[in-house]
Amino acid sequence: MTRTTALRTAVTLTGLHKSYGEVHAVDGVDLDIAPGEVVALLGPNGAGKSTTVDMLLGLTAPDRGDISVFGQSPRDAVVSGTIGAMLQSGSLLDDATVAETVGLVAALHREPLPVAEALAKADIADLANRRCTKLSGGQKQRVRFALALVCDPDLLVLDEPTVAMDVETRRQFWRGMREYTDSGRTVLFATHYLEEAQEYADRVVLMRSGRIVADGSVAEVRATVSGRTLRAVVPGATAGALGELPGVQAVELRGDSAALACSDSDAALRALLVLWPAAHDIEIAAVGLEDAFLALTASSEETK
Amino acid sequence: MNARFLALEVRRAVRNTRYLMFTVIMPTVMFLLFVNLYGAKGQVFPNGLPVTTSLMLNMAVFGLMSAPLAAGARIAVERSSGWQRQLRLTPLSSLGYVLTKGALGMVVALPGILLVMVVGALFEDVRMSAVQWVEVAGGLWLATLPFVLIGIVIGLLATADGMQALTGVLSMAFGLLGGIWIPAEVAPGWLSAVMHVMPTYWVKLVGQAPLVGGADLGTAVLVLGAWVLGLGLVAAKRFQTDTARV
Repeated sequence: MTRTTALRTAVTLTGLHKSYGEVHAVDGVDLDIAPGEVVALLGPNGAGKSTTVDMLLGLTAPDRGDISVFGQSPRDAVVSGTIGAMLQSGSLLDDATVAETVGLVAALHREPLPVAEALAKADIADLANRRCTKLSGGQKQRVRFALALVCDPDLLVLDEPTVAMDVETRRQFWRGMREYTDSGRTVLFATHYLEEAQEYADRVVLMRSGRIVADGSVAEVRATVSGRTLRAVVPGATAGALGELPGVQAVELRGDSAALACSDSDAALRALLVLWPAAHDIEIAAVGLEDAFLALTASSEETK
Repeated sequence: MNARFLALEVRRAVRNTRYLMFTVIMPTVMFLLFVNLYGAKGQVFPNGLPVTTSLMLNMAVFGLMSAPLAAGARIAVERSSGWQRQLRLTPLSSLGYVLTKGALGMVVALPGILLVMVVGALFEDVRMSAVQWVEVAGGLWLATLPFVLIGIVIGLLATADGMQALTGVLSMAFGLLGGIWIPAEVAPGWLSAVMHVMPTYWVKLVGQAPLVGGADLGTAVLVLGAWVLGLGLVAAKRFQTDTARV
């Protein structure tokens, strides 16, 4: 990798490995994130998301591999305020107020935002003088968000950002995030919420057993699994004949009702109607990200 | 080290009512209690130190020991709560964090020393020259360093749960075996021998040196220096493994 490509990407992870004893938490991760991309890191527990995030932030040293954040090492990126992060487990100080906490982190950084601005961006200006013990879970998350923003970072890393929020707060949070990303900032967020990835990310990176198993836009990740499902009532069809159709990968036939998993549902449908003009009740459905997620993560259990 | 960080740390400590009660006010209360309990006014130890003054110094040592122990031990809480991780996402270095905690330990030790001395001067007829007051207070304060380091070592080694018990046991041990609760002047021989390896005993000696002739300041500096060196090594070692684990 040359220096120029390192500068053109916001994040470059190359051959990243991290083991804890016998467990390969991260087992060869390569990832490039372009400036301005909003990337969701998805995966079941133990997939290696948090370890990857920790290494990106310089909190954990990789066993092997390289990390570059806008051409800098993780620690340098933290020190220069290039990277801001909202930790999942990061607790706040019980005996300090919100403004004091954010003010402290601001004071430690070199070119911070004014504290009032960071509080406003995180939508907690009204909580400035509240002790951190007197906050709800969602409010605490927004304080952590302010802590991540106050260094005015180019790359924002969020580990399960909305985990303690109710639906309305979650929506508000993402609205604030949209404003932030509209200014061209790069965001990487780990999440369990598939609809969050679907709704807010330009790109989804799916991890499983320490590896990236799918990477692309939401539509591309869906396609990785099986594209679309074609359902129809096809009088007189046999499973064998249906399986011969172009673009069909798998067939499920119950009586006359067929469910065809298709890589190319358009081709399959055309051929189907030529052979069985009487086919009716035709439905074509896209596989949701959730199906993709389940399929990709379930296959891991089978191969084990 | 960051001044704003230290300022917030001090503010947090002062907000803590337990800190105010146990390390600032309690030593003075104990001092008043002992003076009146022993009816010691006007009596003088063979070394020329008035008993009242000696008790005042003992309670000053009690205060300067408790405050930095508690402050350092809080590191254990911040290690387990995740606040330290949060700080590691700032330019603050791990060393800067520990040094700030050390400075905090020094700062929080001071009010307890000063309060008991002010009360001694105003209400219990403790008399010494202005220079002596400054020498006594300054000497005691400087001699706080071993306790600051003990606090940091506890903070780096203990778990958040174990920290409280460990601090309690240690301050009890240092107090009892170091001549705070039983004056060295009246301690039996074996206890006196134990006292001579405790930092507490030597801190007291540093405090009374300006008031009595022939105090063995050289040995005091040697013993306290050994504690500082030993604890400093333990802290540095522990600190290295802590940051290497990252």
